[in-house]
Amino acid sequence: MPVCDHQLSLQIDSQLSNTTLVAMAVRGVCAMTTLSPVEINRLELCLVEIVNNAIEHAYGNEPGHPVEVCIGLDKTTMNISVSDWGASIPGNVIKDQEPEEINPDHPESWLCSGRGLHIVNKLMDTVDYDTTEEGKNIFTMSKALRH
Amino acid sequence: MAFEIREEGQFTVVLVDETRLDASIAESFKTYLFDQIESGKNQLLVDLSQVRFMDSSGLGALVAGLKKSAGSGSFALASAQPAVKDLFDLTSMDKLFTMHNSVADAIQGD
Repeated sequence: MPVCDHQLSLQIDSQLSNTTLVAMAVRGVCAMTTLSPVEINRLELCLVEIVNNAIEHAYGNEPGHPVEVCIGLDKTTMNISVSDWGASIPGNVIKDQEPEEINPDHPESWLCSGRGLHIVNKLMDTVDYDTTEEGKNIFTMSKALRH
Repeated sequence: MAFEIREEGQFTVVLVDETRLDASIAESFKTYLFDQIESGKNQLLVDLSQVRFMDSSGLGALVAGLKKSAGSGSFALASAQPAVKDLFDLTSMDKLFTMHNSVADAIQGD
């Protein structure tokens, strides 16, 4: 994560009900920026999607594991990282894959899941994912701020 | 209780009495919708007026309800708030759902 003027680190237990805590924290930091209400809602959505992924997929919905969120803020950019120590996301999943075109006439094509990463790829300026030798999975994303 | 139903006009209105329709309640919401459909309620209108935030899991539960009712009834949404509308727009799911400005509009056929 880049060095930022302001940095906030949080850790939650791997339970879906805890995503609200980090969502409110990112909203608080966003209030210090020039981001519009729509952009703040979208940043919250992206953070929640990635934290959900860590809890549901890295830890298989098992409580008792750490999910770490770091929010970095400088004059031009907001950087957010979400880390876990569970199962890594396969490389072919992390790549941006456009969902298939929705056909209103074919209910079998209406997907009930799998939109989270696509939403994040679409809304954030940069997205990256890495696993350290120690087994820490770090999802980083950034959003440019208006001057 | 997070979800409540009431009969209004031709609809069974399902009120989501939560400000966040997210992954922590999406599965129980889906189960609730399925229970309504399986008990014969075939004109469902989901009232989203209280929901200020929805993630892709909440959206997935609505899609599951729509799929479940496909061919045997109607499944519409009412009173989606700005952040919720934005999610539907971002994911192009606004093409799939009938969305009304309010429950009253839905009952009047607007």
